[in-house]
Amino acid sequence: MLTKTLLATILTLFLTTVGFAADPAKAPSASAPTASQAVPQGTAPQAAQPAPAASAAKQAVPAAAPATQTKVKPNRAITITMFMAIIGITLCVVVWAAKQTTSAADFYAAGGGITGLQNGWAIAGDYMSAASFLGMSGLISLYGIDGFMYAVGPMFSFIAILLVVAEPCRNAGKFTLGDILSFRASPKPVRAVAALSTVTVSLFYLIAQMVGAGKLMQVLLDIPYRVSVIGVGVLMVGYVVFGGMKATTWVQIIKAALLMSGTVLLAFLVMAKAGMNPFRLFTDIVNNQLIQDHIRLNVLKDALPKPGFDYGQRFLEPGLFLKNPLDQISLGIAWALGAAGLPHILMRFFTVPNAKEARKSIVVALFINSTFFFLINLIGFGAALYLTPQLISSVDKGGNMATLLLAQKLGGGAGSLGGDLFLAFICAVAFATILAVVSGLVLAASAAIAHDVYVNIIKNGKADQQEQVRVARITSLFVGIAAIVMGLAAEKENVVALVALAFAVAASGNFPAVMLSLFWKKFNTAGTISALLVGTISALALVMISPVMTYPQKIADDARKMIVTLEKKQAEGAVLAEKDLKTLEKARADFAKNDGGTSMVGLKAAIFPLKNPGIVSAPLGLLAAIFGTLLFRDRRAEDMFDEIEVRQITGLGIAKASDH
Amino acid sequence: MDAQTYDWGKIARNPKYLELKRRKRVFLFGWWIASSIYYFLLPTLSGYFPDLFRIKLMGVINFGYLFILSQFVVAFFVAIYYTKVANNVFDRLTEELVAEIQ
Repeated sequence: MLTKTLLATILTLFLTTVGFAADPAKAPSASAPTASQAVPQGTAPQAAQPAPAASAAKQAVPAAAPATQTKVKPNRAITITMFMAIIGITLCVVVWAAKQTTSAADFYAAGGGITGLQNGWAIAGDYMSAASFLGMSGLISLYGIDGFMYAVGPMFSFIAILLVVAEPCRNAGKFTLGDILSFRASPKPVRAVAALSTVTVSLFYLIAQMVGAGKLMQVLLDIPYRVSVIGVGVLMVGYVVFGGMKATTWVQIIKAALLMSGTVLLAFLVMAKAGMNPFRLFTDIVNNQLIQDHIRLNVLKDALPKPGFDYGQRFLEPGLFLKNPLDQISLGIAWALGAAGLPHILMRFFTVPNAKEARKSIVVALFINSTFFFLINLIGFGAALYLTPQLISSVDKGGNMATLLLAQKLGGGAGSLGGDLFLAFICAVAFATILAVVSGLVLAASAAIAHDVYVNIIKNGKADQQEQVRVARITSLFVGIAAIVMGLAAEKENVVALVALAFAVAASGNFPAVMLSLFWKKFNTAGTISALLVGTISALALVMISPVMTYPQKIADDARKMIVTLEKKQAEGAVLAEKDLKTLEKARADFAKNDGGTSMVGLKAAIFPLKNPGIVSAPLGLLAAIFGTLLFRDRRAEDMFDEIEVRQITGLGIAKASDH
Repeated sequence: MDAQTYDWGKIARNPKYLELKRRKRVFLFGWWIASSIYYFLLPTLSGYFPDLFRIKLMGVINFGYLFILSQFVVAFFVAIYYTKVANNVFDRLTEELVAEIQ
C-alpha cells in the first residue's frame, strides 16, 4: 500500500538524519548552540524573551557563587532511545488512523468520533507547549511570581471558549473558520479572507514553533539546527498527511499524557524535598542567600544591599520581569480573546459529535491545563531553590533549561542513572510536545486552503470525498514543506514577534468576526471582511513598529555602552580578564555591524510602545466590523440570522461529521 | 446534512425558544463579563498597585500569590457551575424545544 511505503520512507529518513547527526565527526559544524531562544513560543507570547538582566550578572558574581554549568548534557543513548520510542508509538497511531481516513470529515474532524474526554486531552495537548513547560518554569526560577502570572492568561482563556465560543461553533460550523463565517455572508469572498487569515495565523505560529523546536533539539541532542528542523518537519508532515485529524488528535493526547506525568512527577519530587509543606518551600526560598544575591545583583542591580530591604521576599513580589502594566493588560486581551479565535483550536470542536461533548472537552482541558500551570509554579520555584538562579542563568540566560536541569538533579544528579533517565524522559516529553503542537497547526492551515479555497471557491463545493481527501493531503504536504523551509530560513530571525502576532490577529480579526456572526443579526459580508482585514493589518502594523522587533541601532548603542565601560576599565590600568576581552571584541563587532542600521520597516527605534498590540488592534477590528456592516447593509444576511441563531442555540440541523 | 429542513423563522418565534435564548444569553454573557473583569484585575492590580500584592498574609505568602491562585479557583468555579446549569437547565430546555418541533 502506498501509505505504508511512504511511512516507511519517512521513518528511514528520520532515522538516517538522527543517525547522521549522532556521529559528531560527520555532522557539519555543530557549533555550540545558544539556547536563549531555544524554547518554542507556544502558549506564552513573550515567555522566553532573552532575559534583560543577564549581562550585568557577569560583572558582579557573588562571593558564594555556586558551581556553574554551561550546558545541559543529556545521556545521548538513553535520550535517543526514548525519542525513538515516541516516534515508534506515534507512527503506529498514524498507520492505524490512515486506514480509517477516507472522507473529508475523517481528515478534518476525525469523523466526529472523538469523545469529549479525549478531545479535552487533545485540546490541552494543543495548548501546553514547550514554552510553558520549559520557558515558564524558567521565568519563575529567575523572576519569581511574575513568571507565575503568565500562567493565568492561558488558563483563563478557556472561560471565553467555554461560555461563548465552543458550543455555538460546534452547532453552527463544520470544519473550518470559513464554514462559520460564510454561513450567511457571500461565501466566496468571506472564505477567501478567512482562509488567508487562518493561513497567516497558523503559519506565524508554526514558524515560531519550528525555530524553537530546531533550537531545542539542537541543544538536547547536539545535532545541527537544520537536521532538527527537518526531522521535526518530516514527522509532522507524516502525521498530518497520512493520519489527518485522527492521528493528530492521538499524538496530542499521548503528548498531553506524557507531559502531565512528567510535570506531576517533577512537582511531587520538589514537594517531597520540601517535606510536602508549601510554606516551608516558600520560606526556604525567601531565606535563601543565593536567591537574595540573584535578586539584588542580577535583577535589581544594587551593588550594595539597601539597608532593611528584604531581597528574598522581593522574589515573591511582582514587577521583576513584567515592567509595563499596560503591556500586561494588552497581553491579557490577546489571551482572553485571541485563544478563542485561533483556527487550530476552533477546529478541534468539530471532532466531537455535539455541543454537549464540546462543552465537556473544554472543561476537561481547563482542568488539565490549570493543574499543569499550578504544578509548573511549584517546579519553577523548586528550581530556584534547589538549583539556584545563578546556575540556571549560566546554562541559559532566559532560564529555558530550568525544568531539564531540575529533572536531572532530582533524578539523582548529572551522570547518575536516575538523573540521566529522568532528564532523557523530560527531553522526550518536550519533543512530543513540539510534534503535537506543530501537527495541529499544519492541519488547520491545510484545511483552510483545501476545504475553503479549493473545494468551496475553486470547485464550488462540488468535489467527491476521494478528491477532497487527496487535495487535503497534498495541501498538508506543501504546508509542511513550506513550514520546514521557512523554519530553516528563520534560524537567526527574531521569532518572538510572530507568536504575539498570531494571538493579536486572532483576537482582533477572527474573534470579533466569529462572535458577531453568531450573535449579531445585522452582521454581513462587508462586516466580516473588514473585521478580518483591519484586525489582521492593524495587528501586523503595530507589531512591526513595536519593541519586539530587532532594532540594530539599539544593539549598537548597547554595544557602545559596553565598549565605553570596558575601555574605561582598561584606561584605569586594570587588566581585563579573557572573558571581558572577548566581550569587548564582540561589542566592537556588534557596534560596527549595527550602527546606523534600521529595523525591518526602516525604524531606528520602536514607535508603538507596547509589545502586544491587542489593546489597540482588538477595538479597531471590532469597530471595523461594526462600520463595515452598517455601511453595506445586506438583507439576506439579516434574514438568515434566525437560522444561524436557532442552529447555534439548539443544535438543530447540526453538521454530522459522519454525513457524506 | 440532515435531510430534514426546518422553518427557522417559526422556531425563532417559539416562546420556548425565546425563553431558552434569553436565559442562555443572560447567563453566558453575564458570567463571561464577570470573569473577564476578575481576570483583568490581575494585570491591573499588580501593575498599578504593587504594594497591595506585597501584603504578607500567611507567613511569607503574600496577597499577590494568593490572588493568582484565586484566579484558578474562579476559573474552576465558573466551569463547574456552568456545566451544572447547562446540563440541568439548558440541555433540558433544548430537548423540550426540539421534541416540540419534531
